[in-house]
This record gives sequence, C-alpha cells and structure tokens, in this order.
Amino acid sequence: METDKLAQLKSGDPALFAELVRDHHRALIALTVPIVGISEAEEVVQNAWLKAYQAIGSFAGKSAIRTWLGSIAINEAKMQRRQRKRELLFSDHGDENQNTKDGLAQRFTERGHWQHPPAHWHMDSPESLLTGEQLAECLERLLTAMPDNQRCILEMRDASGLSFEEICNALTVSASNARVLLHRARTQLFKLVDHYEETGEC
Amino acid sequence: MLSCRDFVNNADRLLDRDLRVSTRIALQIHLLLCRHCRRYLKQLHRLVEAIPFMHNKATEEEVRKVMDCIHSHSNL
Repeated sequence: METDKLAQLKSGDPALFAELVRDHHRALIALTVPIVGISEAEEVVQNAWLKAYQAIGSFAGKSAIRTWLGSIAINEAKMQRRQRKRELLFSDHGDENQNTKDGLAQRFTERGHWQHPPAHWHMDSPESLLTGEQLAECLERLLTAMPDNQRCILEMRDASGLSFEEICNALTVSASNARVLLHRARTQLFKLVDHYEETGEC
Repeated sequence: MLSCRDFVNNADRLLDRDLRVSTRIALQIHLLLCRHCRRYLKQLHRLVEAIPFMHNKATEEEVRKVMDCIHSHSNL
C-alpha cells in the first residue's frame, strides 16, 4: 500500500476503510470458517473488522495489510471458539489418498524426470493469473472440492501470509504436516492453471 | 543426483528459504541443468503470488453491513 494512502487510512478515513473491507472481507471469512464454522465466521469477521478499525492507527506496515487483518481475524476466531467451548473443526488427517490422485506423480518418468513438463504460462500480473472468467469458475470448484484441511492451510499461508508458527498455533498442527497439506493444495492449483494455460480449458 | 520429482517435492521450501544449505545447493545445481524445473519454480512462484488475489471483492451489501457495525460502535 502506498505511504500516503496508508497515512490516510491510519487517520481513520471511513471511505478508505470501506475499500479495505471490500478487498479483504471474503479472504477473512475463508480464513475463519475452518476454525469456527460457516455459521459463525461472519460474526467473527465482523468483530475482527471492528478491532481492526480501532487499532488501524497502530498498524506499522511491516507486514502486508492482509496478514495484519488475518492475524486479528484468527485471534478473534480462536477466542470465540474458546468462549463457546467448540471443538476445532480442523483435522490434519483424512486426505492421504488425495496425494496420489491429485499430485504431479503422473507427470514424471519412473526415474523421476519430467515426462509431461509444465506448459508455458502467460503471466501479466499476479492479480490476473487466477481471475480470468473461465478459470475463476474452475478455481471456485477446485477450492470447494479441496479437502478442508488443505484449503485451510492455503488460506492461512498463501492467501493471508500468516507464518507457520501462527498456523500451527491456531490449528494445533505440526509444521511438517502443515507443509505437506500446503504442498498438496498448491499442487492442485498448479495443475489447474497448467492445464488451463495449455489447453484454454479447465 | 536429484531428480525432477525430488526438486518439485522441495520447491515449496526453496521458495520459503526453509532448507538446509546442502539441500539448497543441490536444488540450485539441479536448476542450472534443468529448464523444465526452472519453469516449474518460476510458475509456482507466480502462482503463490497470485493466491492472495483469488478471492472476489465483497459486495456493497457486505461492505455496508461491516461499516454500519463499526459506525454503531464508534464515532465514525
């Protein structure tokens, strides 16, 4: 974020704050669903926005604003779960079969060299890579079908930039399991984009 | 000698700079020799950069709801 805009935001400009809500609200909802469930995520994120608004003056700009907001939302979700004595919905088991089905295993020869190497992607900007109309629909389908635990780590680490330390702490998962789940999630996304770039379809 | 499959399995950690020096050097050497893995790593990196943008923007209704709540709790 540009310095001028950040200074304006920190001074409490409501129009700029609304812009922040517009850009990050959906990501924060996706981030908290695995912790508190879909029915409570909206309330949790609402509370997180309130806290963010009250604390925006202290945002130092050292991390991305999404990461700062994500940490607030995760803390809010953890607090709500504790208060309501809910079980954590996240589990790091249960998708072992996904690895062979959704990995890149079939793209290699027996000796581990590329048999079907990646296509050449046309990449203009990070903003545009996943947002093409047709691809966006397929992406939505892929994310919906993705095991919850993989999607959860993808949202936390890649969509919000949280550290593995924060992730492990919020989900009581080991760093090595979190990494395996993240690798599987990224691989599915990679295959989707690669197929789309190669064939124009997904 | 590392295979391409080994490279792909370690590429996430390479991007996160979370590898022992010896493994990182082995991956860097593999990269020098393998254009497919160079392309894989470059595109994986771009994909990871694109993930924060994969969510749609909130609707005006959603934004209004959040801002109304903030308004009712503060002197906005």
